[in-house]
Amino acid sequence: MTTLLREHAEQQFAEELAVLTEVDARSRPPSWKLSPWAVMTYLMGGKLDNGFTVSPKYIGNRRLIEIAIATLATDRALLLLGVPGTAKSWVSEHLAAAISGDSTMLVQGTAGTSEEAIRYGWNYARLLAEGPSPAALVPSPIMRAMEGGGIARLEELTRVPADVQDTLITVLSEKTLPIPELNSEMQARKGFNLIATANDRDRGVNDLSSALKRRFNTVVLPLPASAEEEVEIVRRRVESLGRMLELPAEPPALEEIRRVVQIFRELREGVTADGKTKLKSPSSTLSTAEAISVVNNGLSLAAHFGDGRMQSHDVASGLTGAVVKDPVQDRVVWLEYLETVVKERKGWKDLYRACREVV
Amino acid sequence: MSPSASAAAPHIFGIRHHGPGSAQSLRKALEAMRPDILLVEGPPDAAEVLPLLAHPQMQPPVALLIYVPETPNLSVYYPFAIFSPEWQAIHYGLTSNIPVRFMDLPQAHQLAEAVQEARRRASQEEPPEAMPEEAQAQAPEQAEEPAATDDGQGEADPQPLPPDFQFPVPDPRADPLGFLAQAAGYSDGERWWEHMVEQRQNSAGVFEAILEAMTAARAEIPPLDDTAEARHEAQREAFMRKTIRQAQKEGFERIAVVCGAWHAPALADMPPAKDDNELLKGLPRTKVQATWIPWTYDRISSYSGYGAGVESPGWYHHLFTSALANHTPTEVAIHWMTRVARLLRSEGLDASSAHVIEAVRLAEALAALRDCPLPGLPEMNEAALGVFCFDTDLPLRLVHRQLIVGNVLGAVPDETPMVPLQQDLSREQKRLRLPPTSDWKDYDLDLRKPTDLERSHLLHRLLLLGVEWGTLQRSGGGKGTFHELWRVQWQPELAVRLIEAGRWGNTILAAATARTCDEATRADLSALGNLIEQVLLAHLPDAVPYITQCLENQAALTSDVVQMMRTLPGLANVLRYGDVRKTDTTAVGHVVNGLVVRICIGLPGACSSLNDEAAAAMFKLLVATNDVITMLQHPEHLAQWQAVLTQLANQQGMHGMIAGRCVRLLLDQRVFDHDEAARRMGLSLSLANEPAYAAAWIEGFIRGSGALLVHDTTLWQVLDGWVTALAGDTFTQILPLLRRTFATFEAPERRSLGERVRRGEARGVSPRPGMGTPSDLDEERARAVLPLVADLLGLPRPEV
Repeated sequence: MTTLLREHAEQQFAEELAVLTEVDARSRPPSWKLSPWAVMTYLMGGKLDNGFTVSPKYIGNRRLIEIAIATLATDRALLLLGVPGTAKSWVSEHLAAAISGDSTMLVQGTAGTSEEAIRYGWNYARLLAEGPSPAALVPSPIMRAMEGGGIARLEELTRVPADVQDTLITVLSEKTLPIPELNSEMQARKGFNLIATANDRDRGVNDLSSALKRRFNTVVLPLPASAEEEVEIVRRRVESLGRMLELPAEPPALEEIRRVVQIFRELREGVTADGKTKLKSPSSTLSTAEAISVVNNGLSLAAHFGDGRMQSHDVASGLTGAVVKDPVQDRVVWLEYLETVVKERKGWKDLYRACREVV
Repeated sequence: MSPSASAAAPHIFGIRHHGPGSAQSLRKALEAMRPDILLVEGPPDAAEVLPLLAHPQMQPPVALLIYVPETPNLSVYYPFAIFSPEWQAIHYGLTSNIPVRFMDLPQAHQLAEAVQEARRRASQEEPPEAMPEEAQAQAPEQAEEPAATDDGQGEADPQPLPPDFQFPVPDPRADPLGFLAQAAGYSDGERWWEHMVEQRQNSAGVFEAILEAMTAARAEIPPLDDTAEARHEAQREAFMRKTIRQAQKEGFERIAVVCGAWHAPALADMPPAKDDNELLKGLPRTKVQATWIPWTYDRISSYSGYGAGVESPGWYHHLFTSALANHTPTEVAIHWMTRVARLLRSEGLDASSAHVIEAVRLAEALAALRDCPLPGLPEMNEAALGVFCFDTDLPLRLVHRQLIVGNVLGAVPDETPMVPLQQDLSREQKRLRLPPTSDWKDYDLDLRKPTDLERSHLLHRLLLLGVEWGTLQRSGGGKGTFHELWRVQWQPELAVRLIEAGRWGNTILAAATARTCDEATRADLSALGNLIEQVLLAHLPDAVPYITQCLENQAALTSDVVQMMRTLPGLANVLRYGDVRKTDTTAVGHVVNGLVVRICIGLPGACSSLNDEAAAAMFKLLVATNDVITMLQHPEHLAQWQAVLTQLANQQGMHGMIAGRCVRLLLDQRVFDHDEAARRMGLSLSLANEPAYAAAWIEGFIRGSGALLVHDTTLWQVLDGWVTALAGDTFTQILPLLRRTFATFEAPERRSLGERVRRGEARGVSPRPGMGTPSDLDEERARAVLPLVADLLGLPRPEV
């Protein structure tokens, strides 16, 4: 049993990867550990001919993953876009693990990410002692990936300052990293590619330049397609979180979760579940992750201040807080929703009253 | 078996309807075979207009229209595109001067059943039980979609669907070749065909293979459950065989038969003629007429609700022209992606040649990943999405509309027979005695007379169809609201417009309804408000529910309160007049309810920080909305509305005009009593406020009616006190504003107010002590005058 808090994908699913490598007889692009077909099976799950079952890593549209894998097989880089909580990093990690057997060549994009993090840095003690030499060079994860012909990952690309982002252009178009200090360069081996992720909700942080945009194929990962799927995700997650936080409350009734998920989906999609009434959408993301936090919040309110059973007034404040992110526009949207939809729905009177008290 | 052993066996070409691949192969095969007669699956009723197909003015896409002259609503459309195999076959036949015949079961029989059903419905009250079982099962479907044959040559109402780039598994009957292609792992039936033809290098062999494949497929696919449908299919195939036998009898030797692949095996294996004649015995018959009308790719695609149409006419057109130019598969993809890039570029989106290269490579990689030898349209779309679109699929929707569906409009020759819409119009013109003349003529229509009312409906409907025969000079005016003055003038180009409008329907009523509904799907809120009023004027009861639905959707989405307020009065009119015209207004009522709720929620936000101009516009809307809400007499709305008005009246920083009007409206509705109104007026006119604000408040409060001031002394005093307290130059500044306000009063009101001022009434009973008393009065000296004044008035002298 491992004592690690969290294992890398290639450690956690080592067995699946090994079996897949064994049965995979299809042709592999240079330096790929698996064929595109096997990568697909690893991501989406399935039963192999020898009876081994591969667990699904991504639950959703198969075609999107196909586009992602096909992109990595060409020499364009892959950009995964989506609102927070749509498994972008998760998919990127598993793709890297399946294709190059190593998901650790990772650069986390932040406002403070510097060019050194993307290109290379120096071991200054050595640099001062010996002068510039390959031994004094500290390669970045991207440089290591180029060297080994693997998949590098860059998280939150749009948070990286624009001038630093543009360092990637040479890497992605020339597949070369110049090292002027040593008057040399690093040429990428076949198989090198880059998966970047970016959040398309808080856009405009550092929008990609069109030169860089052109080097990426984009795959937009959507929110869960069906309500049932989303309810299931929320329920599992809330239960495991509740266990972790040792909340004394009863696990929430499926009814209440379903209601929260329905409200989230309706507002997000701008149409009621029966498809009859259109709605305005608020500026907030309303991702599945937020639905989880609303339910969780309601649960802890019920546990510590209520009778232990989650009721409508326990979720009301969480709901309002999740929806109303802009005090003017979102409030109008939320009020309209309450007045035109929640008020008239059978059996939702309690929720309507609870929410009206808060707004 | 064949009736005579010596008769020439026909060559059967099983094709894919609207399949560019089949079209290409078929043309080649026909040129190689050189038949002496050509039989094509299609309505024999159209024999007369068939030669027009090769007319130089004929530009596909066009549709063959078969209709029943007395009831033009019973009709069938057979759309043709340049890439339709039938089109190519007929074109070949006509240009090489061999007889071309349609061989499907005549629509004269198929529509006759619909006619019978229509009659049955008309007299439904009498013998509902007497209907034979089978006819009952078949009739309703026939009437709604007169010829929903397995080729999908029937036309349903246009119901826009969201663009969906997934290819559904085709129904084996409607698209048996697509079905086979999917079985072979192709996403797109056309690419499969192309691939197959290329590998074989021999078009003729392909049709033999199809015959074999279809024979196998027909054995596999279970027969239709519905006996009526199965019988219908049997009858159609029997008639096709009958036509073939006829051609054999006439001594033709090289007979080419072009039919949907599904029917091919049934025509290859001829049962005894007796059985077929048995099947075709006693079919009902009605009189039908045929003509050509211009069609659009938009309507060929299933995107506009055309049941078994093609999803992607533009893409097929591309495949067809590429095939003509002998392009290799990669070239097809390159040309397509280049077109996509050029389209996106023309819309100002980034799309360089490098993008095109990447997109083609990605499409090919995707096809390889899916084990397809060639990228189909789904791969093209997904590649375009990944490469060109970055984080939105909007560009792809543009591509879908402009390229995949395409916006091509066909044309028909001048000598094409009149379309039923034209005939319907001339019937109406005769009936309503409204002859088309090239000189203009004025009509003063009195809407209380039935004929005039119908004339007005007709003219309004034509306007909605874009046929501007009449122009409305003015309505109402001096003679009351029941008059409309029209200037009517017929121009030759209107006939062209009418032919174009023919694709919307076969009667003026049906076409106007369809066109309006189509327009409604693209209109914004205020346009919809106008549209619904026009629909009422034109009396299109069937369009009302649809437009209402659109309105409801738009109202929910818009955050523009002003637009909602602008739409409300029109809708309220619908609600009010709906009862007279017997249209169902519950749906409209629902929209109005929604609008009122949304206006009440959004109004405080929409009224904050307005400048003078915006406030004046909002003032008008506020008054109009108030009128509507008071007219509707809905207690819940009224309460909500009054709550909002109170909130507006209390809101800090509100424009004076709006605040003033809110107080006034609340006063009129007795929410505020006179003391409250006077208190608020006093507050607004107090010195703490800018004079300009106070003047605007007054304008808002009393604009339009001075009667209130004439009768309410309290308010009068407050106002009077404020005016007299104004400093000289401020007064000059405010004067134009006040003048403007008072100018809106009726002359008698102004006069009585003026007289009141002259009498100085207000000052005498001033409730405020010291009002009108200048502070620099010298009491000493004033007191000195008092004795003399007392003397003059004959009063006892005051003690000094």
